[in-house]
Amino acid sequence: MIFEVLSVGLVISACLAIFLDEAVYSVAALANTFVFIALLYVFADALFVAIFQFAVGAGTLAILFLSGEMLSEKPAKKPQRKNLFTIIAAGAILSLPTIFFSISGSTSAVSSVSFEEALWNLRAVDVVLQGLVMMAVALGIAIVLHERRKGAR
Amino acid sequence: MDFVILSLILLAIGIYGLLTKRHLLKVFVSVELIATAATLNFVMLTPALSKGLGEAFLILAFATDTCVSAVILGLLVVVQRKYGTSDIGELVKSEQSKEQEEAEA
Repeated sequence: MIFEVLSVGLVISACLAIFLDEAVYSVAALANTFVFIALLYVFADALFVAIFQFAVGAGTLAILFLSGEMLSEKPAKKPQRKNLFTIIAAGAILSLPTIFFSISGSTSAVSSVSFEEALWNLRAVDVVLQGLVMMAVALGIAIVLHERRKGAR
Repeated sequence: MDFVILSLILLAIGIYGLLTKRHLLKVFVSVELIATAATLNFVMLTPALSKGLGEAFLILAFATDTCVSAVILGLLVVVQRKYGTSDIGELVKSEQSKEQEEAEA
């Protein structure tokens, strides 16, 4: 029952995130989606991932709210109630397959590596990923500085 | 395994948004939804292999995803400041008109 309620909420908020006109409302709906996803993880017994989803979602959404505020061109106006109900109804209809259909399959664990052990085994991947992120940031800074120098000329 | 259907629905909503929306932030939100759908599948299917390994992979993926999001959003703000719009159609038009002006000159 919990899964069904969470999945309906998740699909409705995803629909709102896509179909609402105002960027800030759209980001608020995305925040709702992240909350529902994290709750799903909690009920799926993946607590570490749920905590990370909360933390990462909070960080991403803070930046998203800021840029949404900067990128929105129109003055803030409330979404039309009729339009809002249509989107919610569409989301509820879209979420019906999750309630009535299911795919059967076994999910028994093949190997039992603990979370700490897996993190330690994957430390090389972590270093490579950090290197990639640093490279992306350096590239971004170089582009911004290049554009600024071009503009100053 | 109902979550597979849920993740398929999320993926479909994300792809629809990616194809139809013209605002850059909306496109980014759609990409986030697609990433969320993939993550949901990953989390729910990892018990079939090894739960710890899947969770560790996901946490690394989350960290990278957040950094990439920050860089993309920074670029969006730069684009908005430079061109004065965040509509993809208008951006393409302004680039085309600039190229035409350069060709005429």
